[in-house]
Amino acid sequence: MATTFSEAAKATRKKKVIKLVGVDMYIVTEEGIPKFPDGEFGPFKCEFISNRGTKVWPGFVSPDLMMVNWYRCRFMATGDVTDADVDTFLAVLTKKGWWWSAAQKLWTHDGEPAFSKAY
Amino acid sequence: MAQHVVTMLPGEGTGPEICEAVRLVIDASGVDIKWEYEEIGLGCLEKYGTLLPDKTIKNIAKNKVALKGPTTTPVGTGHKSANVTLRKVFDLFANVRPAKLIPVLKRPWDKIDIINFRENTEDSYAAIEHMVSDEVAQCLKVITWPGSYRIADFAFQWARANGRKKVYCVHKANIMKMTDGLFLDAFREAAKKYPEIETGDVIVDNCCMQLVRNPAQFDCLVLPNLYGDILTDLCAGLVGGLGFAPGANIGDNCSIFEAVHGSAPKYAGMKKVNPSAVLVSGIMMLRWLKETAAADRIEKAMFAVLHEGKHVTYDVGGTATTDEYAQAIVDKMQGKA
Repeated sequence: MATTFSEAAKATRKKKVIKLVGVDMYIVTEEGIPKFPDGEFGPFKCEFISNRGTKVWPGFVSPDLMMVNWYRCRFMATGDVTDADVDTFLAVLTKKGWWWSAAQKLWTHDGEPAFSKAY
Repeated sequence: MAQHVVTMLPGEGTGPEICEAVRLVIDASGVDIKWEYEEIGLGCLEKYGTLLPDKTIKNIAKNKVALKGPTTTPVGTGHKSANVTLRKVFDLFANVRPAKLIPVLKRPWDKIDIINFRENTEDSYAAIEHMVSDEVAQCLKVITWPGSYRIADFAFQWARANGRKKVYCVHKANIMKMTDGLFLDAFREAAKKYPEIETGDVIVDNCCMQLVRNPAQFDCLVLPNLYGDILTDLCAGLVGGLGFAPGANIGDNCSIFEAVHGSAPKYAGMKKVNPSAVLVSGIMMLRWLKETAAADRIEKAMFAVLHEGKHVTYDVGGTATTDEYAQAIVDKMQGKA
C-alpha cells in the first residue's frame, strides 16, 4: 500500500501497449526544405516536414512563412519495425550527408498516436 | 475614398451575430468596405474535412486583411485550433493586444495604457509534443533568433510610430537560459536601433505581480508566445475583461483582427452578448487601413453609448440585445441619439 504522495502517484500508472511506428528527425540544413525520395530509407517513408511547427511539405506553404535552418522531418514506418531498423535508418541518413540534431522515436500507446501533428 | 476589400470570418457560436452587429456599425461609419464572407471552424470539418478550408486561405491571401469572430478550440484532445492554424499559415508573427482603460467603465485604476506584443508563432505553440515514455510527456519550446528579433523590431517600430516611450521584454531567462535567454538577447539587439526609446526587461512572474499592483508603470511589453497568451488576458482583466479586448495578428503581408474571447456557444442565437471586443478589433483594423476618422467616430460613439448606459448589454449592467447596442452606436454616429 502506498505510503507517500510519490508512491501513490506512481501506483496510479496505467500500463500501455507501446508500439514503434516511426521517427521524428530534426535536420539542420541551409539548403531549404529537405527532400527524401521514397524507397531510399528502407522501411521508413517521409510523411511531412515542418519548420517552427508549421508544415512546409507536402502541400501549401505561405510565401510569407519565415523558416529557420532546423526542420522536423516525420518518417513513418511502412510496416512493422524494430529499434534496430531505426539504427540502420539513422546510419543511412548520416551516410547521405544529412546533419541531424536529434531523433525522437514515435510510438503508439494502446493503438493511439503518442505524438502531435504539425500545423 | 478608397474601397477596401476585407475578408469577414464570422466564426462559430455567437460569432455570426456579433459580426453582423459589428458590420452594421463599421458600414455606418462612412468607410467603404467590400466584405467577402468565408468560413472557418468546427462547422467546416463536416463540410470540408478541415477547420480552415483552402477557399478561406486563398481569400485571405488575396485580400491581405480579415476581421474574425470567435471560434471554438477543443481542450485536451481533438482537432487543433483554427486560430493557431491561421497564424501559422500566414506567419502572423505579431499578436498586438492593447489594454487601454475605457473611460466610462468603472475600474480600480486611473490609468492603464499598455500594448502587448506577443510573439505569435513559436514557443510551446510549435506543436512538437511526444510521449517519450508511457509516463512522461514532453513539449518542445522552440525559440528562434529571427522569430525573436522580428517581434522586438516590430514592437519598437510600432512604439516609434505611435509616440510610445518605453518597450520592455518579459522573460524567464534566469531559469530558461537558452530559450528565454535567446529571446532576450534578440530583444536587446533590436533595441540598439531605437536609442530614443527606453528599454528594459522584467521577469514574467514579477511582471504579473507588478501588473496587478501598479499597471500604469508599463507602456509596451514584448513577450514570447506562452507568457504573452497569459499576460494579455491578465491585462484585459485589468481594463474590463475580454468583452472589451481587441486583438490583431499581423504578418509581413497579411493581418487578421479578432476578438480574443471564446465563441460562447450556449448564448448562440440569443443575441445578448456584447460585440464590443470584435468592434474594437474592427476599430484597430480601420486604423491599420489608415481609416482613422472612421475609427475615431466609432470609438467616440461607442464610449458615449456605454457612458449613457441605456442601450448596453447584460454584462455591463444593461438589457439591450447585441443588435440594439450596435444600432445605438450607429444612431449616435448619425446624430439621432
